[in-house]
Amino acid sequence: MGSIPLGLLWQNLRRHWLRTGLTMASIVVAVFLVCFLRTLIVALNAGIEASANNRLWVQSAVSLFVDLPLSYQPRIASVPGVEETCKFQWFQGTYIEPSNFFAQFGVDAAALERMYPEMRLVEGSFAAFVANDQGCLTGSATAQRFGWKVGDVIELEGTIFPRPDRTPWTMRLEAIYDADNPNFDKTMFFFHHNYLQRALESGEALGNQGVGTYVVRIAPGADATTVMAGIDELYENGPQRVQTTTEAEFNRQFVSMLGNIPTFLRSIGGGVAFAILLAALNTMLMAGRERTRDFGIMKAIGFRDSTAFGLLLGESLLVCGIAGAIGLALYVGSAPVVATAISRMFPGYRATPETIATGAALALGVGLLAGIIPAWQAGRLRPVEALRQEG
Amino acid sequence: MPSPIIQVHGVTKQYQRGGETLTVLDKLDLEMAEGGYYALMGPSGSGKTTLLNLIGGLDHADSGELIVAGEDLTSLNGNDLAAWRAETVGFVFQGFNLLPVLTAVKNVELPLLLTPLSARQRREQALRALELVGLADRANHRPKQLSGGQEQRVAIARALATDPKIILADEPTGDLDRVSAGQVLDLLGRLNEEFKKTILMVTHDPIAAARSRSIVHLDKGKLGSIEHNRPLETAAARS
Repeated sequence: MGSIPLGLLWQNLRRHWLRTGLTMASIVVAVFLVCFLRTLIVALNAGIEASANNRLWVQSAVSLFVDLPLSYQPRIASVPGVEETCKFQWFQGTYIEPSNFFAQFGVDAAALERMYPEMRLVEGSFAAFVANDQGCLTGSATAQRFGWKVGDVIELEGTIFPRPDRTPWTMRLEAIYDADNPNFDKTMFFFHHNYLQRALESGEALGNQGVGTYVVRIAPGADATTVMAGIDELYENGPQRVQTTTEAEFNRQFVSMLGNIPTFLRSIGGGVAFAILLAALNTMLMAGRERTRDFGIMKAIGFRDSTAFGLLLGESLLVCGIAGAIGLALYVGSAPVVATAISRMFPGYRATPETIATGAALALGVGLLAGIIPAWQAGRLRPVEALRQEG
Repeated sequence: MPSPIIQVHGVTKQYQRGGETLTVLDKLDLEMAEGGYYALMGPSGSGKTTLLNLIGGLDHADSGELIVAGEDLTSLNGNDLAAWRAETVGFVFQGFNLLPVLTAVKNVELPLLLTPLSARQRREQALRALELVGLADRANHRPKQLSGGQEQRVAIARALATDPKIILADEPTGDLDRVSAGQVLDLLGRLNEEFKKTILMVTHDPIAAARSRSIVHLDKGKLGSIEHNRPLETAAARS
């Protein structure tokens, strides 16, 4: 006897189609925005998620922007538990124009393959990259962004390391990598540190001779804490103190350099969710008031209080559910386009099941919260009073 | 002598209004026979609609006994009363009270949703009810596409869709022109005579009241008098 007339539920949705449509549109936008913002936060933390437990990062204890001497590398390599070291020097060259930013690093080419087993080459070979002193290797996202293929000559204008004759740094693309881990950065660009070092030593380029960071791979079974302490102890008394951290911690510090962006994004998302809750609640309260007489009629006919409750709550859940599904479809559908557009700042942007679940929970949660009060009011209406309401 | 289908014994109903207690029905005693057609008349505030609502299980009496179609309504809770209403009574209101978003046939089908009938059976029964009131050709029209008289006839079709024993009508001709009112009264008379429905109709209109078999007059919450319009082999009332 407590059945809910689903046809009536649907007809009620269409009763004020403009209001219903606008409410749904606002929920679509809100769900999309919340998912988008959450994905930005996830993307910011993608580097942390992709961190390997067996890699350590050594940098100056003063600042990430202070280079370490080249002479440190063999001593770091001699610390018990260290299996491999690799220079990582930030280059920041300009490709055609400054807006074409992507992260470039001068590295020990031969060590890179062993250091990053996550990299899976999709074009070219590591051997060709290692063999060519002016060779380079880049991620699939960057190759796709600029339409590069193996064999292309890439010219970068030095900014930290300019050439006095204003000629560009010229490299040949020898390989393109991808990675199965979606959080692994596929925008990085690697070239031989030797190429940079030789130019600096010969005066063909200007800039400090040194290395921003050394990446260390520890041996299987080695204790990371002990290895970190061993490296830091090497230069405890100078000449330049170093700070060794796990890769996860290094990436976390890198994200924190952006300031409190994740908190800011979360605040915006929370505000959007709260605003949409109020909008949906207002809509459902209006719907409840307008249908007072209808509920009186239905109760007089013999429908139970629970039917009136279910009709309004169902309407709220239906509005929010449909709008949420559209918002999520937009989010998932637009993810590849958005990822390409913002790959420079958020290389790990991608739609994830967790974010889709968050968006769905938001839509249904708003539907539930917005519907429950008017539904409760409708349920407890006395038929005699409801029938007295003006239609 | 038919048995009474409606028994009102010592029923009192009061309302609080502005800190004052208003006695609308005052220890009212009344019986109505099964198959009767009663017009309930009286000045405004005499308790006609309140009595109709109590008999229809839409409201609770403060005291007294109210037995309708064999059920003691004072002992039923909200859900039981709703189930009882669905099965026993059909309502016809002055303002028609059709759901504006539903077509005529869907409005008539509404009470049938509370029965075990299949969708096809519901549709067939609703169409039969519309045919009975002469509106089968308006089945797919929405209320705003119908005249007032047609709306009231759809409301009557809805009231009888579940084949209830009792039809309760509150000023069913109050919002209608003379011709439409005549059609509605013809219909109510037919339901009483052909289908043996017990009808209780609240009205201010003496012409409408004259179409009933008995006129019950209420005054200040008490039974005034009972007039019998026609030979009343099926109707009985006593104070």
